[in-house]
Amino acid sequence: MTNRFDLDGGAVGFVESSSAVPLVSLVVSVRSGAIVDPEGRDGVCRFAARMLRRGADGMSAQEIESTIDRLGAELALDVGPSTVSFHGQVIRRNIDPFVDLVARILGKPTFSPDEIARLKRESAAELVESRDSDRALANLAFRRTLFAGHPYSRSAAGRLSTVATIERDDVLAAYERHFVRGDVVIGFAGAITEDEAKRLGATLVAAIRVGSRSETKPPEPEKRPGRRLVFVDKPERTQTQTLIGSLGTWPHDDDHHPLVTATAVLGGTFTSRMMREIRSKRGWSYGTSARLSIERRRHAFTMSAAPGVADCAPCVELELQLLEDFVAKGITKRELAFIKNYLVRSYAFEVDTAPKRLGQAMETELLDLPSDYHTRYVDHVRAVTLEAANAATSTRLSAKDVVIIVVGTASETLEAVQKKIPDLASTEVVPFDAD
Amino acid sequence: MSDAKLATLVARLNEDAASPTAKWTFEGSIPFGDSGGIGADLPRVFRFRLGNGLRLLLLVDKSAPVLSYFTWFRVGSRHEKPGKTGLAHLFEHLMFNETEGLAANEFDRKLEENGAESNAATWLDWTYYYESLPKDRFQLAVKLESERMARLVLREPQVASEKEVVANERRMRVDDDVEGTANEILYKTAFTRHPYHWPTIGWMKDIENFTPEDCVAFYRTYYAPNNATVVVVGDVAEKDVLTRIRDAYGVIPSSDIPEEDTQPEPPQGEPREVTLRKPTPSEKLLVGYRGPALGDADHETCVILNEILFGGRASRLYRDLVTVREACTEVRGWVSTFRDPGLYELYFTARPGIASSRILEALDAQLERVRTELVDNEELGRAKARLELGLLQSLETTSGKAEQIGFYDTVLGDPAAAFRRLERYRRVTAGEVRTAARRYFVDARTIVRVLPEPDTEASPVSAEASA
Repeated sequence: MTNRFDLDGGAVGFVESSSAVPLVSLVVSVRSGAIVDPEGRDGVCRFAARMLRRGADGMSAQEIESTIDRLGAELALDVGPSTVSFHGQVIRRNIDPFVDLVARILGKPTFSPDEIARLKRESAAELVESRDSDRALANLAFRRTLFAGHPYSRSAAGRLSTVATIERDDVLAAYERHFVRGDVVIGFAGAITEDEAKRLGATLVAAIRVGSRSETKPPEPEKRPGRRLVFVDKPERTQTQTLIGSLGTWPHDDDHHPLVTATAVLGGTFTSRMMREIRSKRGWSYGTSARLSIERRRHAFTMSAAPGVADCAPCVELELQLLEDFVAKGITKRELAFIKNYLVRSYAFEVDTAPKRLGQAMETELLDLPSDYHTRYVDHVRAVTLEAANAATSTRLSAKDVVIIVVGTASETLEAVQKKIPDLASTEVVPFDAD
Repeated sequence: MSDAKLATLVARLNEDAASPTAKWTFEGSIPFGDSGGIGADLPRVFRFRLGNGLRLLLLVDKSAPVLSYFTWFRVGSRHEKPGKTGLAHLFEHLMFNETEGLAANEFDRKLEENGAESNAATWLDWTYYYESLPKDRFQLAVKLESERMARLVLREPQVASEKEVVANERRMRVDDDVEGTANEILYKTAFTRHPYHWPTIGWMKDIENFTPEDCVAFYRTYYAPNNATVVVVGDVAEKDVLTRIRDAYGVIPSSDIPEEDTQPEPPQGEPREVTLRKPTPSEKLLVGYRGPALGDADHETCVILNEILFGGRASRLYRDLVTVREACTEVRGWVSTFRDPGLYELYFTARPGIASSRILEALDAQLERVRTELVDNEELGRAKARLELGLLQSLETTSGKAEQIGFYDTVLGDPAAAFRRLERYRRVTAGEVRTAARRYFVDARTIVRVLPEPDTEASPVSAEASA
C-alpha cells in the first residue's frame, strides 16, 4: 500500500514500505519538463537537471560522484515532456547520508561556468553519437512529424544548434523555473518506514526553493490529414526501422481503457496480430509491436517493426493493412476475452516490487491521471466491452491519416516503399545526420 | 521447511513414484543471502535430483504472489561445431513453436492468457527459458516446460520461419550495429581454437543453411532432463512443486550427453589488431585482454579492478577520458563471466574528431599506473559498495533471484555463489588488485578499431576536444 503525505510548501510525498531487499529507492520529481524549454533553447531543462550533480554546496562534481559510489548508491535522471525525475537507489544503511547528498545537489547547485561549458561539449558529442541508433532516429523523426508545431515534437536532449546556444543564465532560469516546492513530488520505496520517509522527505523539501505549483500544461496536439512518409536516409543499412502512427489516447478519455485493451490485441503480446503476421508467419522482423503512450495531453499511437531491406516495402504495406483492418473491424470477442485475461493476470508483475508500486502512485500524481487509474486498473480492463473497444479503435485511430517513418538507405528502399503505400500524400527524405 | 522435514517429504513422495526415474533425491540446502558475518537466519535454496537426472533448485519466497520458473540447459554456443554455429541460439526461438501437444503459437497463447511473462536467453555456456506467473499458475509452467523438453516438433516450416527471424535479429544486433560488429570481430580475433571464437547468434551463412535434421540431432542430444536444471522461486508449496514436477518430468528419458570436445585456447603470444570502417560518426575502440574464468580464484579481484577503472563516473577511466580529456562519450569495461577463460573487454566511444590512438595512449597510461601503484582504500571501498548494490538490485524480483541461482549453479555448481563472491569482494586488497592488473593487462592483447566512413564522420564538436 503506497501512502501519500503532504510536505511543506505544497510538495507531496509517497512511501511504499517493503522489507524484501535491504535497499531504498528514492524518486524526486517535479511537475514540469522539457516542453517548456524556451524557443531556441531546446534541451535546457534537461541540461539544467544534469548540471545539478556537477557541483553543489562546495562539493565538486568528482566529490559528488565519489560520494554516491561510496554510499553504494545510484542516481539517474529522466526528463520527459512534462516531468523531471531523479531516480536514486541506495543500500539501506546509507539512506540518511544519501538523502543529505541529494538535498545538497537539489538545493545548492553551483552551475560553475567551466562545468557548463564542459557539459555543452559533452551534450553535443552525445547528440552526434545518438545517430548510431536507428531506432532512436526513427523515434525522433516520428515525434517531429506527428507533433510538428507542438511542444511534444521537441526532444528533451535538444538539438546541436540549440544546445550550443545555452548560457549560464538560461540554466539558472530553467533551474528556478522547474525546481520549486510546489511542483515537487518525492517518493520512497523499500526498506524504509513511513516515519523515516516523512523525516527524509522534509529534509529534501527544505533544500528546495519556495515556489508555487506551476505544472506543465501543453495544448491539445492537432490531427493532420493524409499519409505522410518521412524517410531517414542512412548509408549501408541491411535492415530498416519502421514506425507507423498517429495521435492516440488521453488517460481521461472515456474510451481510454477500451483503446488500450484493443491495441494490446494488435501488438501488445507475443501472440498479437502483428507478431503473428509479421514475425511468426513471414519472419520479417525480430520484434514488432503496437503501443499507446500516455502524457498530460493526447499522445502517440505507434506500430513498429524492423524488417530487412528486401522485406521493408511489403512489411509497411502489411502494417497498413493490419491497421486498416483494426480500425474498420476492430477486434473479435475471442480476442477480447484473451487479452483481458492477459492484462488482468499479468498485472501481478506491475506491482510485484515496492519501486513499481511507488512508480504507479507517482505517475498518477505527476501526469494528473485519474486517481484510480492504476489502483483500479484491473477493474477498468474487466469492464471493457467489445462494443467499447471497437468504437474506440474507429473513433480514435485512422489508417488514412498516419505518419510513416522508415530509417534505411533511400537509394535501395525508398521507391519500393512509396509504391506500397496507397494514397501517399507526401514524402520527405531526411539525412540521418540532420540537426 | 527444514531439511529434515523435506527429506521426510521426499521419502513419502517416493513411495508412490511410478518408476525409478520419477524418484526424488534430496541433496540438501544452501543459505541464500548475505550473512554479513553475523549468522543471520537466511532463506535457503533446496536442491533435489530426479531419477532421470533432472535437477531442481527451489527457493520459497512469499514477498509477492508470483513465481518464476527457469529451465537452464547446460548447452550453449560452445557445444556447436564449425558450419553449424548459431544452432543453440536458434533453439531459443524454436522452443516457443509447435510441440506434439500444442499447435503453433499455442505455447505463448497459454502463457499469455494466464498472465505470464516469458523469455529465453542463450550464451556461450548455457541456455535458459523462463516464465513468471501468478502464484496459482505453477501447474501451467510445469506442463508447458516438460512438454517442450520432450515433444518439440522440428519440421521444415518451423525451422524455415525461425531462421528468417534469427537472420533479422542478427542484422539488428550485429550487422547494422557498430558495437555488435566490433564485438563479434574482437572474439573472432582473440580466440583461434576455442569455440568462444564464434558468435552465439551464429555466422549468417550457417543460419541460412540449418536443416530440420540439424535441429533434431541437437535437440535429442542436449534437451534432456539430465542436461537441465529447473529453478523455482516464488510463493509456492514444497510438496506441490515436488509432486507436479515429478509427475510431468519423471517419464522423460535421460540422454547420453556427449563428453565435451573443446580445444583450449593457446596463450596469446602477440598483439592482434583489426581495423574496419562503418557508417558511424566517430571512432570506436575495443580492447580485449585474456581474462579469468568465472570460477578462477582472481575473477573477483578482476571485477574489483574493473570497478576502479570503469565503474561509475568517479572511476579512473571515466574521469580521465570523459571528464578531463573529453576524448570519449562512453567508456566501459567488463570481465567476462564464462566457464572457461574469456576476455576482459574494454570499450570506448570516441568523441567526433578524436582518434582512437589518443584513447589508447591514455588507456595505457592508466593501466601502467594500476600495475605499478596501489589503489587507495577509498577507491576499493567505492568498488565494493557498488558491487553490493548491484547484487541487491538483482534480487528485487523472483525472476532476478531465479536467474542468479540458475546462472551460478550452471556455471559454478553453486546456486548461492553470488553471496560467496560478495564475501570475497569484501576481502580483496589493494595488493591483489595490483597483482591482477599485472597478470592480465599484458602486451598480447586484441584491438579492434572502428573508423567512420568518410561520408558519415561528424565534425569535431569542440575545438578543445579535437586539439
